[in-house]
Amino acid sequence: MAAAMSSSCCASSLRLIPFKRTLISSVHYPAKTLFFRPIPSFRRTIVTFQKISAGIVPPLSASSSPSSSDDLQPIEELPPKLQEIVKLFQSVQEPKAKYEQLLFYGKNLKPLDSRYMTRENKVEGCVSQVWVRAFFDEERNVVYEADSDSVLTKGLAALLVQGLSGRPVPEILKVKPDFAVLLGLQQSLSPSRNNGFLNMLRLMQKKALFLEVKAEEGTSSEEASVLEAESDSKPSLIEDLGTEEIEDSDSESNVDALGSRGMRIREKLEKELSPVELEVEDVSYQHAGHAAVRGSAGGDGETHFNLRIVSDGFQGKSLVKRHRMIYDLLQEELQSGLHALSIVAKTPAEV
Amino acid sequence: MEGVAMKLPSFKSLAPNAISIAAGHRSFSRVRRSFSLSVSSGASSSATIAADSEHLSLGHQARKDFRILHQEVNGSKLVYLDNAATSQKPAAVLEALQNYYEFYNSNVHRGIHYLSAKATDEFELARKKVARFINAPDSREIVFTRNATEAINLVAYSWGLSNLKPGDEVILTVAEHHSCIVPWQIVSQKTGAVLKFVTLNEDETPDIDMMREMISRKTKLVAVHHVSNVLASSLPIEDIVVWAHEVGAKVLVDACQSVPHMVVDVQKLNADFLVASSHKMCGPTGIGFLYGKSDLLHAMPPFLGGGEMISDVFLDHSTYAEPPSRFEAGTPAIGEAIALGAACDYLSGIGMPKIHEYEVELANYLYEKLSSLPDVKIYGPKPSESVRRAALCSFNVEGLHPTDLATFLDQQHGVAIRSGHHCAQPLHRYLGVNASARASLYFYNTKEDVDSFIAALEDTVSFFNSFK
Repeated sequence: MAAAMSSSCCASSLRLIPFKRTLISSVHYPAKTLFFRPIPSFRRTIVTFQKISAGIVPPLSASSSPSSSDDLQPIEELPPKLQEIVKLFQSVQEPKAKYEQLLFYGKNLKPLDSRYMTRENKVEGCVSQVWVRAFFDEERNVVYEADSDSVLTKGLAALLVQGLSGRPVPEILKVKPDFAVLLGLQQSLSPSRNNGFLNMLRLMQKKALFLEVKAEEGTSSEEASVLEAESDSKPSLIEDLGTEEIEDSDSESNVDALGSRGMRIREKLEKELSPVELEVEDVSYQHAGHAAVRGSAGGDGETHFNLRIVSDGFQGKSLVKRHRMIYDLLQEELQSGLHALSIVAKTPAEV
Repeated sequence: MEGVAMKLPSFKSLAPNAISIAAGHRSFSRVRRSFSLSVSSGASSSATIAADSEHLSLGHQARKDFRILHQEVNGSKLVYLDNAATSQKPAAVLEALQNYYEFYNSNVHRGIHYLSAKATDEFELARKKVARFINAPDSREIVFTRNATEAINLVAYSWGLSNLKPGDEVILTVAEHHSCIVPWQIVSQKTGAVLKFVTLNEDETPDIDMMREMISRKTKLVAVHHVSNVLASSLPIEDIVVWAHEVGAKVLVDACQSVPHMVVDVQKLNADFLVASSHKMCGPTGIGFLYGKSDLLHAMPPFLGGGEMISDVFLDHSTYAEPPSRFEAGTPAIGEAIALGAACDYLSGIGMPKIHEYEVELANYLYEKLSSLPDVKIYGPKPSESVRRAALCSFNVEGLHPTDLATFLDQQHGVAIRSGHHCAQPLHRYLGVNASARASLYFYNTKEDVDSFIAALEDTVSFFNSFK
């Protein structure tokens, strides 16, 4: 067991056990589920640090190998470059050296062009400023670019960029944030910074998914979809969302009744998917700040929804296929002002 | 002496002695004396502290009362320098809270039975202690709230909504805490009042001349800090009140950073409203207070509605209680209020003048050492004969992000400072920075704490600089 953290720092004190448990239990990501729910704040979950004079409790090092905790995603499931990075950090014992390694990554990170430092690219929950940009290469692998004004955060961003860039969407989506535990960096980082790290990963995964969904739509026979300003059916080098204002050429006025779109979504999904469970939540208010939202679908448009669907219809289908199914069903809505869906799509067996 | 962790007796062993609570709150100190501690806190402690003061600074003596300070974090001794965010609590305050729940917890102002009478007495006694602490003429001018933020909102919604008309002006500074900006924004939107902001002068202090000029017949309220939580500067409240009253305006003082650290006398200041938080002055979280002049409070409509603040309730209307009850809807944070009273006792036991004197010394020491480091920019005025800084420094190191500094200081050295905008985004925007780091002291910090911080900071800076 790589007791890196414990041996060098504070041999006789309780390590961040409560923190670790909180991380594992509240951030539970079964492989097939997409996780757009807000990540709980990890600030100040550490309660006690006591110098134990007698009866030393063997410290639980969070940089231990995966076998010490069944909840952790096995390292083999991570993208190859990320695996390398994790192993590298595990081999570095001293926390100061880990920092040096992290800073080294950050130093070599390609700087982000300032025109990409937009609101949509900014990571929430960071004490410093962090931006992440994502786009497809010719083979429909996701390429990331990132930047930050804080060198430690930049190091973390670089780590994620290196680890996830050039990989296909499904692989990226499978990555669980608790590999941070494997890095052993978690203990070197304050909870608020860790929050930023998790949110960085989440944003990167969200962007990957959107790229995929947009690409799928681009290849369909429909006219320019609402989600891209310049329709380009070729999947190569599609720019990420957020850098372009989303114009809705066809602003409908049928959103007079509040919840009408929500109702339509519900009906459609019920009719086509015969779900066992269906939750349709209108979270447009959360996005009221976007300029794009204000422009389309009226002042108080229904533009963003959280969907939770449990249906047999998803049996045997990959995560991306499921999402595509749902997007296909809601094409009309997407072309008339619906901007984004956060989807949880499961089969009854997976619940 | 520093490293010894005082093993304070568990509360269970207090129980047999504490049954004599019926005699009154003084029993707390009686109970404490039965344990052989060299320094006991509470009202009776001042004598002991004075006796030890020959070779130990106030910081060294006071530390013994704060068990939380005697621990290690991340392998180093904890150096807690985030007191402007919240203060630590001495054993006496914790015991007061525990004793309340353990021996006489009961709802206040409602029941007739023994426990509830006792709880009510202690609760109202706490109100008197707070009044005495700030020299308010009448304890009925103290309204207990959840914290200072709620207290300001109370004034904004209750006084503000019924007194501000379109075109009226509310004067603030760019250095205000968000709690003294946002409520006024909300209320001015509703009433059509206008917010005006005093900016800083070259000393990075609010421009007093500008403020004087801004105060006009249109001004209805001046809402300002007493001591700034970022700049460490103080405002001449007495003068401001004179200028404001000349034009018929009221003054609200945000005293969160002053009440815990110095003598604050509301009669001397003659402020109309004053707010402070318990948790910054060795009291528990969840309680704060608003001081308001009696005639003002009597003219204000309720803020929150519910039990306690009413006189008679009918189905279609109700009549309201007199202040302070009028503004204390629902069951209050009883234990917390009582513990705040204990905090007032504890601080008074040491003596606020003594605390302030010690902190002035510490403030100068901190500023001196911090400013001697290269590439460090400290915000706010330079200390001098005429300018006294509070014992805190918000600063930036050239080329380094404050979050990196704070993280490294914590992880490698156990030094706890804060980084961010300290709930003063407009101020940071005005200063032209995204964020700053802040080290803030309290009377239980020592010169050694400052030394540890400076050494740690030097190490941190050289670490990050080696990567450039």
